[in-house]
Amino acid sequence: MTGAELVIKLLTEHGVESIFGYPGGAIMPIYDALYQSPVKHYLCRHEQGGAFSAIGFARASGKTGVCMATSGPGATNLITSLADALLDSVPVVAITGQVSQAVAGTDAFQEVDVLGLSLTVTKHSFLVKNVNDLADTLRQAFELAQSGRPGPVLVDIPKDVQLAQVEYVAPRTLSAVETSAAVMPQQQLQLARGLIASAKKPIAYIGGGVHMAGALTQLNEFLKTTGMPSVTTLKAMGSVDKTNPYYLSMLGMHGTQAANLAVQQTDLLVCLGARFDDRVTGNLQKFAPEAKVIHIDIDPAELNKLRRADCAMLGDLRALLPQMAVKTQCQDWQQHCLNLKLQHGWRYDHPGERIYAPLLLKQLSERMPDNSVVSCDVGQHQMWVAQHMSFNTPRNHLSSGGLGTMGFGLPAAIGAKISRPNDTSIVVSGDGSFMMNVQELATIKRFRLPVKIVVIDNQRLGMVKQWQQLFFNGRYSETDLSDNPDFVSLAAAFAIPGHSISRKDEVTDALDAMFTWPGPYLLHVRIDETDNVWPLVPPGAANHDMMTDLPYSEAT
Amino acid sequence: MSTQHTLTIQTGFEVVAVERLLQVTRYRGFQLCGLEMKPMADMSGLLVTLNILSDKPISLLTAQLNKLYDVQHLELHAPATAALRA
Repeated sequence: MTGAELVIKLLTEHGVESIFGYPGGAIMPIYDALYQSPVKHYLCRHEQGGAFSAIGFARASGKTGVCMATSGPGATNLITSLADALLDSVPVVAITGQVSQAVAGTDAFQEVDVLGLSLTVTKHSFLVKNVNDLADTLRQAFELAQSGRPGPVLVDIPKDVQLAQVEYVAPRTLSAVETSAAVMPQQQLQLARGLIASAKKPIAYIGGGVHMAGALTQLNEFLKTTGMPSVTTLKAMGSVDKTNPYYLSMLGMHGTQAANLAVQQTDLLVCLGARFDDRVTGNLQKFAPEAKVIHIDIDPAELNKLRRADCAMLGDLRALLPQMAVKTQCQDWQQHCLNLKLQHGWRYDHPGERIYAPLLLKQLSERMPDNSVVSCDVGQHQMWVAQHMSFNTPRNHLSSGGLGTMGFGLPAAIGAKISRPNDTSIVVSGDGSFMMNVQELATIKRFRLPVKIVVIDNQRLGMVKQWQQLFFNGRYSETDLSDNPDFVSLAAAFAIPGHSISRKDEVTDALDAMFTWPGPYLLHVRIDETDNVWPLVPPGAANHDMMTDLPYSEAT
Repeated sequence: MSTQHTLTIQTGFEVVAVERLLQVTRYRGFQLCGLEMKPMADMSGLLVTLNILSDKPISLLTAQLNKLYDVQHLELHAPATAALRA
């Protein structure tokens, strides 16, 4: 067989049924091998969209997402998505065609140093120079993408390698070897148990690493046994059982007041699969100032990177969490956290007839079918989704956390729908973000994907505008999008029906119509440009110094 | 006051392994002040020696370098303290 045919063979060997991509000159042999193969290819309308679909596929399913692109511009268009996957630890294998080695390094047509470009945006990358290395390289790529802390791996394959003849050799079946259980860090575990047992005000700070480790059951058992209150990062929303009364929701820049205040007061922060990101900590020096820290992660480079831990453990949360589940005596603290929740609960009694996005999203959350996957874009609507929607697993909340990539939502929702065809896939986007990968409406049309699209439109780059209002003296530089297209007409051009609403009393009927419609649907929601996301921890401030409204002079 | 560190690293034979070492060193905010590279005796890979000047804990760099798939072995030698020149 050819190298190109071997690529398809290796995809099937790894159980890959769906891939996302866009053909071009240097990857034509692989696309030829794909023709009439059992692997279903989803033609996206931009390589970035294809790679984001692979990310959505991976995040919604837990499987490895696969995307493909040609050399040069095809490969460069993948870069943003690969960076997104790296920062959010998403297992993706990207396959790129490369110019033939005979002309490599000559500035050939559509030649760019893809291996060089990939260094900073992948967990690892390969350039395959010999067809005899192709199978092993692809097997390594799949292994690397999923192992340890997951991430994107790129395999660049020159055209001559794709065309060369090679024999398929099945993977070596490893003989049954005795694998000893991972050595438990007993000394550290003993220290952790002591810290937990003696803590008066403990908090679990839960990151995306918990669900990626498959440790949600162990997490919830741990929380139940210890009774400690908990907070989550953006990526971990949906990790804690909804019935847990001591869950305080998201912490950080736009976290709940209860979560931020409790973390600032805690005497023991148990950090599980999280990384003290600056959007979480605010001013790092002032973050959880009284707390001792237990930090567990699968990535050794995250331990002691930003906050020195009193007890740091490297390992598998599934194994470690049950070993740490000791009872605490923190009833007063639990009650205090309940009081914080009560005192700082969300309010939805927004005056006037105009639609208030937080209320709309709460209504959407209440009306969406069970186990719906919600993808969102980046900006104000993203934070409103995190604050006002409810999820029963992090796999149902796809949000570009680390890179914060506008344009993520629509293609991610496509990937989610393909990975979980029986679940509803919803994208909540903003008018700025939606336009960044709007071409993927064509992908929805082509494959008749019943993705539900909610565009929250304030005719502004809302989050940037909010910061301009608060921190740049109201100088609204380049954030006016009042010349947006007619989104319903735009969707109609792709045979996607839609409806536009602007009043509160239209919301429930509009949501019901969207969910009742059997195919894709776009709901355009006009909101007031003056609505902002609260609370907000200003840059450089401690998390207890949240703004909850405009300063008086701004508001009047 | 910065500290000078010497790292000896065994990598695969691909040149890109050296690129990765340098990229991580730069991106993580460490100053490279010396670099030596030679093939290992059995030609199975490269032996790279990096001299690093840093006012940050060197563990922040070694933890990142150790994650690289190319890195087969990394050894940190005893540090020497050096005054930064203006």
